[in-house]
Amino acid sequence: MSTTTISSIQRKAQTGRIGFLGSRRAWPQRRMTLTIVVPALLYYLLFRYYPVVRTLFLSTTDATLIAPDYQFIGLGNFLKIFSDRDFTQIIWNTTYYAFATTILTTVLALLVAFLFEPVRRGVGLLRLLYYLPTVTSTIAIAAIWLWFYQPRFGLFNQLLSLVSIPPPGWLRSPDWAMPGLIIMAIWGGVGFSALIFIAGLQGIPQDYIEAAKIDGATAVQVTRFIKLPLLSRVILFVVVTGIIGSFQVFQQVYLMTRGGPLGTTQVLALEIYQQAFQHLKIGMAASLSFILFVIVSLLTVVQLRLQRNDWEL
Amino acid sequence: MTQSTTMRMATASHPARRPALVNWLQAQPWLNYLMLALGALLMVFPFLWMLSTSFKPRSEIMIFPPTLLPKSFALENYWNAFDQIHLARLYWNTLYVTVLKTGLMIYTGALLGYAFGKFHFWGQTPIFYFILFTMIVPFEVYMIPLYQMMVFAQLGNTHTALVLPHIFSAYAIFLFRQFMFTIPNDLIDAARIDSAGEWYIFHRLILPLCGPVLATTVSFYFMWNWNDFLWPLIVITTSAKAMLPVALAGFVAEHGTDYGLVMAGATMAVIPVLVVFLLLQRYVVQGIALTGLK
Repeated sequence: MSTTTISSIQRKAQTGRIGFLGSRRAWPQRRMTLTIVVPALLYYLLFRYYPVVRTLFLSTTDATLIAPDYQFIGLGNFLKIFSDRDFTQIIWNTTYYAFATTILTTVLALLVAFLFEPVRRGVGLLRLLYYLPTVTSTIAIAAIWLWFYQPRFGLFNQLLSLVSIPPPGWLRSPDWAMPGLIIMAIWGGVGFSALIFIAGLQGIPQDYIEAAKIDGATAVQVTRFIKLPLLSRVILFVVVTGIIGSFQVFQQVYLMTRGGPLGTTQVLALEIYQQAFQHLKIGMAASLSFILFVIVSLLTVVQLRLQRNDWEL
Repeated sequence: MTQSTTMRMATASHPARRPALVNWLQAQPWLNYLMLALGALLMVFPFLWMLSTSFKPRSEIMIFPPTLLPKSFALENYWNAFDQIHLARLYWNTLYVTVLKTGLMIYTGALLGYAFGKFHFWGQTPIFYFILFTMIVPFEVYMIPLYQMMVFAQLGNTHTALVLPHIFSAYAIFLFRQFMFTIPNDLIDAARIDSAGEWYIFHRLILPLCGPVLATTVSFYFMWNWNDFLWPLIVITTSAKAMLPVALAGFVAEHGTDYGLVMAGATMAVIPVLVVFLLLQRYVVQGIALTGLK
């Protein structure tokens, strides 16, 4: 943390008085602060806090998007949700997607990062290529992968038929739709996570590795006992933020499967969208989004715990 | 450059004592190159495939084994795509909303970051956390009331409704605040002694010093805003005001099996972001390394 401009004691000494308005010399700063911070505060109250509170309120009603009047039904929506087998399915799908995607992506990204480590020439270009999927519009990626997954003419099944493996129906098969989405998400996420790991690896003091090597540690031992432990905070950060992010997955699923087939890829965010803007049941959608909020909050608490020391605010 | 050379020399001067297969493998950088190149090929292949398909005439697309490069180079997919979707209008809509949103978010981010990082005022820390807290709230949690607010304000199906909820960004504020700590206070005080106004100091002294963080945030926010999907999907209902990703999603759903056409559309959607990314890629990489942001 850097030093402060003028501490309050210094200011007191300089001006002889402090108060709500402060010294005359501080007036321009105060005026600027007021013109910046007050609108921001109001903005956040109006466009973030009010809607969140309103969602909480809506979750206890049977409100719809079109009819102006609604009834207070208490925990009715939640009772309905928790007694519904479709909902258990949705939560399971979302959790499965989030954990499978994040863990597999992290493992692969670590591998890529270790491969990158000794490489010096051409790093820039390689990094660029690995990062390409992250910057591309999801819709373009979805369009390409929809074709890859096409059961009859898609590239994957054409290739599989060459080696005479019975081709799965991919996004049209209840067993393969979710793995299909996960594979696509891993492909899209590896480069980004790898980049964070590469930065983390570069942050490890070379002395540690040198010292271990002088003591006769093999490359495997250096990786196992020095690099991985020192990277563990970064790995945890990537895993937890990854899970938080993929718990909110919407676009990929919306574009690729719309939750089908047979609800096997239905995820929470998609369900919220469909309840609110297709079935127009915003009370129900609000309850669902409140559940999403609770899950994400819990994960965020975990994240903040894990990186408490990094948060020197 | 020098650092990497010294590092390489250092590793070379201390070969591991127990030569194992793994150590031998580690000493072969070409193996790393080979595997990384294979991985990179996997990353790029879908895009090459998209590009190549978009130039293939319809008769060539379904051939198996597929041709890597189009045998006969055709632009018909692009002409058809131009006919079917008003690409110029989509580009314009998306570009100006994206630029407006990005510009606003970054300007307000810098301004508030400066205020929180360099000023001292009543309630500073609580207000900062109050704003920062909104970062963890998923969009789905406030989108329904937000939509109702927009409809109530007669802003349904307008670009204003797209921009309005994204004037401030807690994350941008956070990033700029962190950066402000690296700017010495003496510099600001010196400007004050030279009787520069507070706004003058911000615009002429602080903002120019923010170069790296500006480049990082601009590139990220441009990508995010360009690819934004859910909110435009909800708010925009007519094709005249549509955003590119949403319009393209409809296009893909409609012409799903006309792969040449779809790939031409996808190529067009990718190009602008790709240009920005290539121009600012150094800062994107720096940004990830510094903040772990996506």
